[in-house]
Amino acid sequence: MSFLMSRALARLVCGHHRHSVLSVRTCSTQTPATSTQTPDSSTHPTLSQVLDNVTSQLSAAQVPEPALSAQYLLSCCLLPQADLHSARPVLAQDWRQAPAQHLSPAQATTLHRLVQCRLARMPVQYILGNWDFHNITIQVRPPVFIPRPETEQLVDLVLSSLPPPVPGQHLHLLEVGPGSGAVSLAILSARQDLLVTCVERSQAAVELTRDNTSLLGLVDRLEVVQGKVEPGAQLEGLQEEYHLVFSNPPYILRKDLMALEPEISLYEDLRALDGGAKGLDVILPIIELAGEKLPKGGLLMLEVDPCHPHILPTKLESLDTSMVVDRVVEDFTGKERFMVLRKT
Amino acid sequence: MLSLRPVLPSLLRSLPSILSRHKSHIDKSSVPRLDQADLQEKVTLGSGPGGQAVNKTANAVFLKHLPTGLWVKCHQTRSVEMNRKIAKQLLVIKLDNLVNGENSVENQKKTNEKIKLERKKEKTRLKYEQRKLESLKEQSEGQDGEIS
Repeated sequence: MSFLMSRALARLVCGHHRHSVLSVRTCSTQTPATSTQTPDSSTHPTLSQVLDNVTSQLSAAQVPEPALSAQYLLSCCLLPQADLHSARPVLAQDWRQAPAQHLSPAQATTLHRLVQCRLARMPVQYILGNWDFHNITIQVRPPVFIPRPETEQLVDLVLSSLPPPVPGQHLHLLEVGPGSGAVSLAILSARQDLLVTCVERSQAAVELTRDNTSLLGLVDRLEVVQGKVEPGAQLEGLQEEYHLVFSNPPYILRKDLMALEPEISLYEDLRALDGGAKGLDVILPIIELAGEKLPKGGLLMLEVDPCHPHILPTKLESLDTSMVVDRVVEDFTGKERFMVLRKT
Repeated sequence: MLSLRPVLPSLLRSLPSILSRHKSHIDKSSVPRLDQADLQEKVTLGSGPGGQAVNKTANAVFLKHLPTGLWVKCHQTRSVEMNRKIAKQLLVIKLDNLVNGENSVENQKKTNEKIKLERKKEKTRLKYEQRKLESLKEQSEGQDGEIS
């Protein structure tokens, strides 16, 4: 299925558009999937039975994380009407707190639509419309890249390298490729003395970052500039200098791009993932940009592919840059996931 | 006629000791500190390359205190960092209960709640006894009035 077609499908099946978490639209022409219900509960299954049914359905279709997905979908369809457009975070275990033991007809219809979305391999985060990242909750929508859990460590890496706040002074940081804005917004939420400029090439991501910035009340501290960081790029709207530069750039190697699961290849903007043959196509121009925008001793913090700590140093030598590798940091699964570079 | 006399003095005697206990003072000085070296942490992110190449919603954090064998598993939130924070807090509570027994912060809170409840009960009992005493007084005065 092509990328554009899958986006169309997403809109048709889930009615996913900018300003609603979930909108009620007619589903595909398929008849509702028959679920394996026990005879005595065929007319009125309990929530537990519904959960088991959905889990079996997803499992049979080889959808990853069937049990956890089912819990999220069930919890989502039980949201009170009033909360549907408030983007209230839905937790997998919410369904256990539901006052009623059975689904209303409206809820059952909603659940059916959500299940169709998940059967089409739409990521749970897109189905829910929002997700948590570090200490904040943000909206997410296709095709903008969904923040990954490992990237939460990038937030702490940046924060731990900053000097203590000085009253009346601001530190100005630069992020390349904010996507949903997750990393910048989490950093801004943690410290009041920071200002961030983001450079983003995708119009959809620019809009989502701005929406999330409004949602979190950080409009006065985050600015989004549309532009692509590439060799020889003349980016407008940037300052002369920034205290620190950080990024979770596209870093997947081209050969690994083919092996991505449908949740990613069908729904997320592959430009947010594709790093080219060696996964460095965007990283190298970012390093050059950092070299221009950082003061001496200034840091660039990157999330990378685990192979990059081994291949980047040699690549750096061929670049006309004053940036050097300062250290490599592992993520909590033990993979080399972050690189810190320093301007000399 | 009920004899209230034996009951009241004993109540009055125990009242000061109940009321003199400090209100909700929790001693947190013996709460154990977690040493990173003693901890084993495992995050359920699924197998595979991780990072951008994977999109999973599972982010449960399993945290074990190696010296004692105590462990917690947390999947309360949708953020891994939040789950790690909460897992640490839960583990400290577990360790505190093991090491400090009834003096752990959790058990001190429970004891304080018990004392609060007891005080409330005493208050209600006293009120009841006082009212009873007053109504009996009124009755006996009435009788005296009639006699005289």
